[in-house]
Amino acid sequence: MALAQRRVRNAAVILFMFLTASFLMAQSLRSGEDKAPDGKHGQSGQTLTAAGPIGQTVVQGNGINYHTGGTVLKASPVPIYIIWYGNWNGGAKPSDSQATVSLIQGFLSSSSLGGSGYEAINTTYGDTTGNVSGHLNFSGAVFDNYSQGTRFGDRNLTTIVSTHAGHGLPLDASGVYLVLTSSDVKESSGFCRTYCGFHTHATIGGADIKYAFVGNVDQCPAGCEIQSTGPNSPSTGVGGADGMTNTITHETEEAITDPDLNAWFDASGNEDADKCNFKFGPTKTAANGAKFNQTFGGHNWMIQMEWENSRGGGCDQTLGGPFFTN
Amino acid sequence: MLRVFGFLAAFPLLLMPLAVGQEPVKPPLNPRIVTATRQVSMFSALEKQMLEAVRKKDKAALQAMLTDETFINLPDADPLPGDDWVESVMSKDFSLKSFVVRQVNVTDLGTAAVVGYDRIQDSTDKGKQDGGEFYVVDVWKKDGDTWKLADRYVCKVGSTPVLPTGPVRPTGKQ
Repeated sequence: MALAQRRVRNAAVILFMFLTASFLMAQSLRSGEDKAPDGKHGQSGQTLTAAGPIGQTVVQGNGINYHTGGTVLKASPVPIYIIWYGNWNGGAKPSDSQATVSLIQGFLSSSSLGGSGYEAINTTYGDTTGNVSGHLNFSGAVFDNYSQGTRFGDRNLTTIVSTHAGHGLPLDASGVYLVLTSSDVKESSGFCRTYCGFHTHATIGGADIKYAFVGNVDQCPAGCEIQSTGPNSPSTGVGGADGMTNTITHETEEAITDPDLNAWFDASGNEDADKCNFKFGPTKTAANGAKFNQTFGGHNWMIQMEWENSRGGGCDQTLGGPFFTN
Repeated sequence: MLRVFGFLAAFPLLLMPLAVGQEPVKPPLNPRIVTATRQVSMFSALEKQMLEAVRKKDKAALQAMLTDETFINLPDADPLPGDDWVESVMSKDFSLKSFVVRQVNVTDLGTAAVVGYDRIQDSTDKGKQDGGEFYVVDVWKKDGDTWKLADRYVCKVGSTPVLPTGPVRPTGKQ
């Protein structure tokens, strides 16, 4: 009888310890989930630092705020790697071409966008250890022949990046990887329907890799192009490359100032480039009739303005330039 | 005594199936910040403009955004004519204090556009809490250079308005 009672007691103790451990594990799992970015609206649980200098020169209170713990990319220049996905050699649209490849790689060089007064706007952002350099540079490219097919989702995108980061391209946590898809590729999470591109990050090969998706906007000119013929269009109506440079600018700016989605954004959740999305400021007209608002690297460009985090904040075309609302 | 030590040694092993079972319960949603399309940017602004007109009791501004035959469609109710809806939201009984528009999707059909979004609002009706979370589908019709609301289909999906009070983590879907 005593033996039976002892067995029952032991069984109760084991059951109690088992349930207690399960409960504690569940609690720690929930805590972890709360801290992880979930891509949903709601209080972030982060704290705003008090207004004042951050790092060397960056201040708060210019319509966009630094959030404690967030970091920016500070390399000088920030390396930009490109994964050309799909068919970029005579593809479905005239802009799926080697001409687009050359134009965009040149656009991202240190002697073009990478060294421009426009890119210098990013120097108004920083974290507790320093500011963004305001320089970027195209640092390598690979071609991917539809390894995930012509239709894929966000998880496949991570696979594409992990396939090439560290294999063909360096594994570099200080840089930004761009996955640029030809016009026949569908990103099923909303390309052309809700967005023209996006940026995010993931742990790949043990490193925090920042990457962005930008599709050939000739798939949806009405949604993602400001004009059907751009300043660098090889012929009338071939605006994909120029349209992509605009989205690429947006994504690279944000991937540098808010690489882990936890550093710089405003009370509505808008990052620096979101605050000037499709706002271009004053424009000029090129010989082919296309509008442009920037000239560097031997080309004219039509790219959105950037939110300058100084002088009260505003959208401008170059660091220290006048602010424009549209 | 040995049995106790044996049990303690075996205890972590007992938990292993549990830990392994919990780990891959749900893959985390991949967070991302998007560049909104021109349509999403434009219709997000229009929806916010309309809500601001309601909040500020600007009847003229609100009426200017409706067609002559706008209807507001709710579950288990007859379609509400636009004029009646304007009167109801302009009455002193109703007060829209704040709102958030998010997850905007647009299907552009040329002269019409279908816009779906989530709306969280803090509002009162006759002094009682009337806010919550709503899913809204709006049909906008092009009228010259402007867009006007032709039809609204709205459904309440949550009763408690949980409006962000501090900085929100960006989603790019605002």
